[in-house]
Amino acid sequence: MAEEQKEAKPKKRMTATKAAASIGPMVKEFITGTLQAKAEGKQKVAYTFIVCHHEEIFRALDVMPVWTENFAGICGAKRDAERFLQRAESLGLSRSLCTYALCGIGFDQWREELGGMPPDAPWGGQVRPDFMISSGQILCDPRSKWYQASQQFMPDVPIYNIDLPYPLFQRNQDHRDVWSYYHQYIVKQLRGLVAFIEEQTKKKMDYDRLRELVNLSDRTWNLIDETYKLRRAVPCPMGTGDAMNTMVPINFMMATQKAYDFFVDLKKELEEKIVRGEGEVENEKYRLMWGGGLPAWYALSDFNYFNSKGASFPVETTYRMVAPLHDMDLPETKDPIEHLAWRWLGYWTFWFDKARKRPGSEPDVERLINWIEEYKIDGVVMHEAFSCRTWHVGLIWQLHQLAKIYKPIPVHVIGKDGKKEKVFKELPSLILESDIIDITSYSEVDTRNKIDAFVGALESIRANRAA
Amino acid sequence: MVFVLGIDIGSAQSKGIALGGQGSLGSFECPSGGDFKLTAEKLRGELLSQSGKTENDVSRTVATGYGSKLVFFADEIKPDIVCLAKGVSSLHPTVRTVIDVGDLYTKVLRTDGNGSVHNFLLSGKCAGGSGRILQVIARVLRVRVEEMGDLSLTSQKRVDFNTGCAVFAETEAISRLSQEVKKEDLLAGLHRALAAQINSLAERIGVEPDVAMTGGGARDIGLVRAFKEIRRHDILVPTDPHMIAALGAAIMALEGIEQ
Repeated sequence: MAEEQKEAKPKKRMTATKAAASIGPMVKEFITGTLQAKAEGKQKVAYTFIVCHHEEIFRALDVMPVWTENFAGICGAKRDAERFLQRAESLGLSRSLCTYALCGIGFDQWREELGGMPPDAPWGGQVRPDFMISSGQILCDPRSKWYQASQQFMPDVPIYNIDLPYPLFQRNQDHRDVWSYYHQYIVKQLRGLVAFIEEQTKKKMDYDRLRELVNLSDRTWNLIDETYKLRRAVPCPMGTGDAMNTMVPINFMMATQKAYDFFVDLKKELEEKIVRGEGEVENEKYRLMWGGGLPAWYALSDFNYFNSKGASFPVETTYRMVAPLHDMDLPETKDPIEHLAWRWLGYWTFWFDKARKRPGSEPDVERLINWIEEYKIDGVVMHEAFSCRTWHVGLIWQLHQLAKIYKPIPVHVIGKDGKKEKVFKELPSLILESDIIDITSYSEVDTRNKIDAFVGALESIRANRAA
Repeated sequence: MVFVLGIDIGSAQSKGIALGGQGSLGSFECPSGGDFKLTAEKLRGELLSQSGKTENDVSRTVATGYGSKLVFFADEIKPDIVCLAKGVSSLHPTVRTVIDVGDLYTKVLRTDGNGSVHNFLLSGKCAGGSGRILQVIARVLRVRVEEMGDLSLTSQKRVDFNTGCAVFAETEAISRLSQEVKKEDLLAGLHRALAAQINSLAERIGVEPDVAMTGGGARDIGLVRAFKEIRRHDILVPTDPHMIAALGAAIMALEGIEQ
């Protein structure tokens, strides 16, 4: 078996907000909660994936979700993933597969072999599930294959797979022409999930409770949108480094009062910081967008390095897995399952209409353009994690599309007063390369050299404009 | 009288240029070795000696490159990307894309002819797309790095190199030698594979003519030719392409005084 050594403890990232600083203990608490629930046997625990819009169903049936991507991320952030990755490799799985999946599979195999948690398992370890809910969303095949692989070591643990498609963008077709077909299909998938969990838990779904939880999630979605929009302020009160913490309530705690309350507090904190003129960075010089890619969880302190150069990140596309519901125009329904399916479709088609109006645009590019303008962005940073195709295919293409709009030459536009004005819309980009949790792909020196060069380019462009 | 130094401490080679009001007063390069501080001192000493100056005569020093943070006598540290753009633009203002093949990275940058960087991309942590692979193969073939270009040009039957990975390339080179493949054919294959990898990096950011190649890799005529063949247009190689970042640093030192 592969060498099982822990790596050096990482330096802790400095957060700009108190809310972000409170996330670590919160995550630890719910990992501990899953272990406790399993030990007491009062509540079923289930492996599952984020962004499936099924949390309400879990919680209404008192099932405790175990977010396996989250646990892999924790191992990565604690620089303790390598021993689990090596285990998966020794089982014959390639390092080029999704490293979240490899880490989870390696951990599961080890835990099952021992009949208990691997030594020094991060935060007590990942609990053995009662069942697993996988999801074959359009591109991410590990989401349906991961648990099948883990089931080799836990043959008694059943899997239920939900399929959640959405219409792909077509310039010449309104997605609403076809989305009722998708809706019917997704509703069937979710009803199938309800039936499966009812069977596993021996409980009947309380649809009034489910409706309340869906309503709570909807309110949380809108609140998150309002909160994150506060980051448009100059200087920006909270950056992407913090958002990589505050993604926790968005992705792992939805449909809980705690998640809602968290954003009430964060919104208040940001409003207060704005009043005081307090930014993430003391002297904000550059406003950057995290334009794509999952972060390198073991290197979040790189955000502090950006900050030390006067660069703040007011917005990111990663993990902002909500959109304002009041802007979605979803069909009305009293059935919470039907609403969940509409919300799913509303989220994934949110940018379709705007993209259709702009020649050559696509929804992902449209989102970038809108946020570049709204958040007054000076440059785009992306991270290509080698092991994740789902989130990283197309990033370079998106930058190429942006380069057609944000050119390195001054352009003339018609201003509000009808007069022509010369504007500079150039937008440099930086692509960082490593992985989500595989630290062997990362070099701090190289990454920081790239950041230095990028800041040098930003400076150079600014000096050029001034000249 | 104005007298400035541009110091580029690379991962393999370190370079320095001394500029006065009338132009270059000296230049020097040496292996970076294991002690960047000492190397920087050595460069400064040599540049002062060539120019007939003393430490007190130096108006400003700008350092760049991998070990720039260890040039303790520098007044300012600038990223090598910025220095490259500045250096190339000073010599060839029509250049819009610079491909710098260094020991550790290959860098592609877009510039405007005035020395401003508009965008850039660096090769990753892997040595496959950088100049390091040339050194690895030179050792296997027992030829000097400086000879590789000319030798490659004599190839009559280029072999297809199947990998861009430095480690696998070494294994592949050894196995090809055991098949009695000629060194020049193997080198031509290597140059082609490296050029293809560099081109793929360049395409990611977009290539706008004129295109210049700099860095130690640009001294390898075999690599330059392979890159030209892939690009199907001319590639400009400045005189002393490996000195461009140091030149840019020296120019920025001059500009720093003027400001």
